[in-house]
Amino acid sequence: MGSSREPAVVASSVSKEFQLGDVIVKALKDVSFQVAEGEFVSVSGPSGAGKTTLLNIIGGLDAPTGGSIRVFGHDLNARDEDFLATFRCAYIGFVFQSYNLISTLTSLENVAFAMEIAGWPAKRAVKKARKLLKAIGLSHRADHFPSQLSGGEQQRIAFIRALANDPPLVLVDEPTGNLDLKTGLEVVKILEGLREEGKTVIVATHDQRIIELSNRTLRMLDGRIVGFDE
Amino acid sequence: MEGLSDSMSKRSFPLKDLFRRRFQTTVTVASLTISSATAFFLLFFGENIGFTVTLLTGGKVTIGFSYMFSVILLIITLLTFLTGVLMISFFISLAMSERIRDVGVMTAVGCVTDLVFGYFITELSVMVFVSSITGFILGWFLSIASVNILNSFRFAITQQPINVWIMPYVFLAFLIVPLLIGTRVIGKALTIKPSKALSTSFSQGIPAKSMVSVPSKFGLTFKVAFKTLARRRIATRQAILCLSLVFALTTVSLTGDTIANQTTQNYVERAIQRNVVVIAHTDISRRYVDLLSIFSETRETEPVNYSDPRFFIADSLISRLRVIEGVRKIDARLMLETKVYEIPKIIIEPDRYVVIGDERSSPALILGLEPENAVNDWLISGRSLNKTDMYSAMLGHTLAIGILANPEQQMIKILNKDFGITGVCQDPLNNGNVVYVPLETLQSISGQTGYNLILLQIDSSNFSQTLDQIREEIDGQDLELAELNGVLQKHLNLLNTGWSLVTLAPLFSLITAGLCLSGYVTLLISTQQRDLAIIRAIGVKLRAVIKIVVVQVLIIVLVSGAIGLSIGLLISFFLLPEPVISIASILPVFLWFFAVLVLLSVFSLYPILRTVKKSVIKAISEL
Repeated sequence: MGSSREPAVVASSVSKEFQLGDVIVKALKDVSFQVAEGEFVSVSGPSGAGKTTLLNIIGGLDAPTGGSIRVFGHDLNARDEDFLATFRCAYIGFVFQSYNLISTLTSLENVAFAMEIAGWPAKRAVKKARKLLKAIGLSHRADHFPSQLSGGEQQRIAFIRALANDPPLVLVDEPTGNLDLKTGLEVVKILEGLREEGKTVIVATHDQRIIELSNRTLRMLDGRIVGFDE
Repeated sequence: MEGLSDSMSKRSFPLKDLFRRRFQTTVTVASLTISSATAFFLLFFGENIGFTVTLLTGGKVTIGFSYMFSVILLIITLLTFLTGVLMISFFISLAMSERIRDVGVMTAVGCVTDLVFGYFITELSVMVFVSSITGFILGWFLSIASVNILNSFRFAITQQPINVWIMPYVFLAFLIVPLLIGTRVIGKALTIKPSKALSTSFSQGIPAKSMVSVPSKFGLTFKVAFKTLARRRIATRQAILCLSLVFALTTVSLTGDTIANQTTQNYVERAIQRNVVVIAHTDISRRYVDLLSIFSETRETEPVNYSDPRFFIADSLISRLRVIEGVRKIDARLMLETKVYEIPKIIIEPDRYVVIGDERSSPALILGLEPENAVNDWLISGRSLNKTDMYSAMLGHTLAIGILANPEQQMIKILNKDFGITGVCQDPLNNGNVVYVPLETLQSISGQTGYNLILLQIDSSNFSQTLDQIREEIDGQDLELAELNGVLQKHLNLLNTGWSLVTLAPLFSLITAGLCLSGYVTLLISTQQRDLAIIRAIGVKLRAVIKIVVVQVLIIVLVSGAIGLSIGLLISFFLLPEPVISIASILPVFLWFFAVLVLLSVFSLYPILRTVKKSVIKAISEL
């Protein structure tokens, strides 16, 4: 089913190595796959399999040491920082495992900030951010700082920050890993909504509920793809 | 055996930890070393340039002008010491508050409080001891190097040995203060419950709501920069306090130096006046010039028998000089040298009496003059002599300090007559051991009827022409004409050289300011590294992130600069009696100050670029 659509992500023989002291760690080894536009793909595998590294490379946060990566037709290899920043702003909505909200901005400001850097006028950005917070039931937390929020609340705010600019590709890293069952379910609902909207989503997860939502699951082990099932 | 190895490993663990946390250890040790090295350097250097730190040495307050040098240098040294201590406490509390989470982890896994405390105090002691020793050695070497460099530029500074009365105390202060502050922070961390210490809200801290909202028209960069500073209120306040003190130190050093230089030069210029010549018998004239010159050079002087009738000048000469067009003022004086005695003052109170002063004495130069004709203007406290004064005297600063406890309340005795004191003047003549009394009074108590010295102030426009006319008038009369402009210039040159030496202290305080700012920026960036990486991760360009940090640095620098500059100026003005300030002389200081601020901000860009350019993934995952 992926082959009938225009590929959103094309990874060809991607490899990534890290130098840790004297040791070279191979995080990704010859990884090749395609994700079509509108697809919901989950990436599963044990810890250290290379899931987060793969998402970072797709999101232009990290560069591969070998192979090539194309996202929406843009070759991300050997690009300068400015190009990658503009690319992330225009194409990517990233939900990090540890939420990564800006500690000195309130919930509202965190969401509005993402819109302002995409060119929204400040007042409109704040108005829209309020609307989004209301939609996820967190309008009462608008003026709270990240350190004053629970993990689930931070996760939901990280979601609406990632989605505020309506990016064509949403990358989500272990969204339920740090959450309890009930809060995790709320996150699963958000992802379900994205799938129904036809958004291209790649989620790194162990959560069976999310894997079941996926069109395909990319299974990884020790930096290699061991399966890409429908 | 097992017990021994166990205890060894416990001891070596803090050391291993210091080596493993290389960056944090280096930043902390480097900051502490710089702070102590600067303070030690200024203390060593202050000793070398000859102006001992009066309070610390318990030494006697030096006389006249050298007193001003000491005061300025003392204030600079105290401010440097304070800044050093404040910087150290700032860095220590920052470094140790980063470890609160580690304290939480250690207590959570079951380490007893004593062990945790011992572990962190060992780490702190090692860092403090290493940085104090390094700072001491570095400060000493810098001082030796500076003296050698200056001496190669024709200065003549003697290398002083280490002052064993001051340095151990300063060294101890630099050792004890950080340990006390660190112990407090560690002790406080130990009282926090492990669950709280480990929570994100504690480790990140809950930002404070900013009082001021930034209008949206200011742009995203400014808004984010301002909000970050306003919401990290404690860190911002500490940084502003620390930098303000450094800038105050720099301002005191720069402006104090400029004002003091200008003021002392002005004192000398007013005391001697430009275009003044002396007419007197050769012996008297030479004696006067010698006594005036000893302020800036050593002179062998011959005693003079002032009662010699050949020395007295005829009244008719004054009448003839008066008609010369270029002569602006004629100041006829009777000069003699005798001992001046202190008269103790007894104040009777209801149930007791208090004696002010003692019965000290000192040889001094006594000058009788007509107050309305005096060419000099050297008063620094009290009032000048006036026409109606009889047994009143104005004292040179050195004499006033040397033999009197309170010049405002005491009297002096000259030639068995008591004189009240109207004021004190700053006079280079006879190095300030001088007394001015009304001419008639001195004539009557000394039994002399005339005057033996005339000071003439000449119009600068036709100076040489007037001099020729005066020479014609005194020709063949056993009188000599001596110009004082040369002596004045020598004095001014001496003061300039002295102050140019003291100016080296501000230069080093500027370096302190630079290092302090750079250290602060490194800390500022390292604490914001995660936030900056997140901002980049969601699509902000590197240039914009750098702009955010630069704006923060500029806000901090400008606010601290304004506070420091104001405090520094206030201190400078209070340091000197009747400071002489001209916009023309202060303006370059301000320009220098702002140029340095800009330079420092640019200088601090290096750590910004180094940290901000770090890979986003690395920056996020490191913290």
